Amino acid sequence: MERFDAAVIGGGLLGCFAARELSRWKLDIILLEAREDVCTGISRANTAVVYSGYDHKPGTLKAEMTVRANASFDRLCRDLDVPFSRCGSLMLSFGPRADAVLSKKLQNGEANGVPGLRLLDAESAYAMEPGLAPGLRHALFSPTAGTVNPWQLGIAACENAVHNGVQLRLNTKVEALHREADGYLLETDRGAIRTRAVINCAGLAAHRVQELLFSPSVRIVPSAGDYLVLDKNSAGKPAHILEYEPEEKAKGMTVVPTVEGSLLLGPSERDNTLDYATAENGLLWVREQAARLLPGLDLDGTIRSFAAVRPNPEQMDGRSIHSFVIEHPGQGFWSLIGIKTPGLTCARELGQYVAASLARELHAEENTDFDPIRRGIQKAHTLSFDERQRLAAAEPEYGEIVCCCEDVTRGEILEAIRRGACTVDGVKRRVGTGMGRCQGARCQQKITAILSRELAIPENTVTKDGKGTEILYHGAR
Amino acid sequence: MEHVKLLIVGAGAAGLSAAVSAWDAGCRDIRIADRASAPGGVLPQCIHRGFGLSTFGEELSGPSYAERLLAALSSTGVHLSLDTEVLSVSHDKTALLSRRGCVSRVRFERLILASGCREKTIGSLPVFGTRPAGIFTAGQAQETINLRHQDLGREVLILGSGDLGMIMARRFSLEGKHVIAVLEQAAHYGGMARNYHRCMEMYQIPLRCRMTVRKIHGQGRISGVTAVHLDSGEQEYIACDTLVTALGLIPERALVQGLEASPWLSLAGNCCRVYDIVDSAASQAQRIGHEAGTSLL
Ligand SMILES: Cc1cc2nc3c(=O)[nH]c(=O)nc-3n(C[C@H](O)[C@H](O)[C@H](O)COP(=O)(O)OP(=O)(O)OC[C@H]3O[C@@H](n4cnc5c(N)ncnc54)[C@H](O)[C@@H]3O)c2cc1C
Ligand SMILES: Cc1cc2nc3c(=O)[nH]c(=O)nc-3n(C[C@H](O)[C@H](O)[C@H](O)COP(=O)(O)OP(=O)(O)OC[C@H]3O[C@@H](n4cnc5c(N)ncnc54)[C@H](O)[C@@H]3O)c2cc1C
Repeated sequence: MERFDAAVIGGGLLGCFAARELSRWKLDIILLEAREDVCTGISRANTAVVYSGYDHKPGTLKAEMTVRANASFDRLCRDLDVPFSRCGSLMLSFGPRADAVLSKKLQNGEANGVPGLRLLDAESAYAMEPGLAPGLRHALFSPTAGTVNPWQLGIAACENAVHNGVQLRLNTKVEALHREADGYLLETDRGAIRTRAVINCAGLAAHRVQELLFSPSVRIVPSAGDYLVLDKNSAGKPAHILEYEPEEKAKGMTVVPTVEGSLLLGPSERDNTLDYATAENGLLWVREQAARLLPGLDLDGTIRSFAAVRPNPEQMDGRSIHSFVIEHPGQGFWSLIGIKTPGLTCARELGQYVAASLARELHAEENTDFDPIRRGIQKAHTLSFDERQRLAAAEPEYGEIVCCCEDVTRGEILEAIRRGACTVDGVKRRVGTGMGRCQGARCQQKITAILSRELAIPENTVTKDGKGTEILYHGAR
Repeated sequence: MEHVKLLIVGAGAAGLSAAVSAWDAGCRDIRIADRASAPGGVLPQCIHRGFGLSTFGEELSGPSYAERLLAALSSTGVHLSLDTEVLSVSHDKTALLSRRGCVSRVRFERLILASGCREKTIGSLPVFGTRPAGIFTAGQAQETINLRHQDLGREVLILGSGDLGMIMARRFSLEGKHVIAVLEQAAHYGGMARNYHRCMEMYQIPLRCRMTVRKIHGQGRISGVTAVHLDSGEQEYIACDTLVTALGLIPERALVQGLEASPWLSLAGNCCRVYDIVDSAASQAQRIGHEAGTSLL
């Protein structure tokens, strides 16, 4: 039977970073992911904001980690070669209740050490965002907030983990756990694995994975939220992240000018569902909020809607939990359970936290060969003319445009497949194909054909997003 | 840097027609660039008859219509660059072109944009639910069936009764698939009467007006939709394994966004406005081509 020092369960943002941070020690590590690709869960559908840290109570781990994570985000994204936009955020108040919230956040932020935080009067805020609705009273400006593409960050961390010796095993679901004298036995749907230690990052299923061996300690109550995406050419797009703090005590909406240039709006808040289906009332709510906040925004530029699922952690008696749930139920067993916002911002910090704790437990030696650098896929459209010309001359496929809305070349798609993309959405997550105004209508069939050829599989078995999502008709099933 | 007097983006009916007219007007330095591997724009995938009645006096298929245009082009010295994407156009009258192995900049004196349309997608509608496989735009379905000869599904629901929706309803029927219905939000079909007769009535495909799709069902592949009757508000579940959206065309002008007022730019064919009849798109393009060609003498 295969033996490892550590098994990381779950290839979302948290599992990918836990594995990467763990590879800073001399350990044999395996990363197990149930699906055909990494970052297909919560990490794929969220608000994409790198928070600055004024939301959390001073002195909490969340506050401390968020501020630290934010300060090192440029460095992290440089190391992992992932685009990061430090566009700054404005939290917006249109009335007395929201004004009070803003002052509270300002206080928190100052206590937490958030740099550059400023309460603006309406005039200064309008100068920064002329499209904001009339009636604005104040805005809390946080210059260090930013945005990153969450799955690109997770994929980059995974690639870097593999570069540093981590074994990635996809299509492998952990189904049972057993305690052994010197560690754990993991039964998966593809055979058993022995390991000295486990880091459980199974996202929405993390509590269930822990309960395979330990008694229940946390409950996860899922809730859903809906988002809209507007095309990058939409009129009235703001330049900053906007957080709308409504007057009635309800969730506000966030507006994010993404690193790709599109505009992300949401999420709504809906109860108790594990379903990634959008709901009518949720989408209507997002549209209404958007129209109220940015009257000039052209919602006809909507190109996509999607739903996200939040893993809300609760005590067994139903009280909600506001801190990060980091559990250590047994020797060499760590779990991250119900990590929602700001889990993207803190993915590296959380990974580092559990990795360091585990390394201490295992008396692991530092891996002096650890290389933090990962090179991303060359994106032809980000190059200067000369660079682009040279690249196409040297590697002809980088001249062939396959996705015309987002300007993505065949060379990029081939490289995405070489790095592990095996579905149309896997290619999309790596190089952005089909994200633009035609939503893949013009490139999906071409990408299906490329995947079929490169993976040497029949074209009618190429999927959009894993088994059961074949693009072409696939016969009776 | 390469230099060309007249650069035309798109080798569809409009681009080809404009090029020939510009040549006939005396302009001798013309280049057309198209991202596709074959000229003709949407014509090659339109294998049905119905093109060219007013120009040629007979109803041709899309590919035959394209052949006629190409025959006219071959007697000119217009340079046709296929498999070539025009990536961007700037106000200094240069365009960035990309093809396999080569990215280049071209300086032009005039530009005719003949880039056609893109299709509206379901993402732009207030439709909720899941995002499964098995949803295609009509043009995408047309290209996949007619040019790639692939099978998309068995139980097909079509949303939108414009010409494209009705033509695709017939196409799926001819392929032996079951077309459940064509749903239309208006009180009347959207396309031409002759298409309703030839594509729907003759194949006994139900047209259901004042209806639209509200919700998509299905985890892996689409399994059905919740449709709504717009007058009564009543909802109805319709099972299907394929949804084809024919929601209309949007002129594709992203390339010249912000440059629309430039005196050196003209729009020809469907990127100028949506033409139902290719002859009208072609004759508008001829005027544009003639005018551009003359101005460059
Ligand atoms: C609506 C929403 C908005 C958010 N917005 C932000 C934001 O703007 N900024 C921010 O900082 N944070 C945000 N977050 C938080 C952040 O997105 C999450 O904290 C983070 O993505 C969690 O990643 P994960 O790895 O835990 O989960 P996932 O990405 O879901 O990964 C878990 C993985 O485990 C796998 N798995 C499950 N069970 C098994 C098993 N038995 N065996 C093997 N594999 C298994 C799953 O297939 C999955 O791939 C948001 C979260 C939500 C829900
Ligand atoms: C499905 C369908 C059925 C039809 N049926 C009929 C019918 O029966 N009878 C009839 O008379 N008319 C019909 N029409 C209408 C008619 O076909 C169109 O009006 C006409 O063909 C439009 O021509 P066009 O050149 O403007 O656009 P297109 O044919 O769309 O050509 C545009 C070209 O520009 C290229 N292009 C765009 N951007 C770039 C770029 N950046 N770089 C390089 N190349 C680019 C594209 O690849 C494409 O080849 C139909 C149309 C459709 C879509």
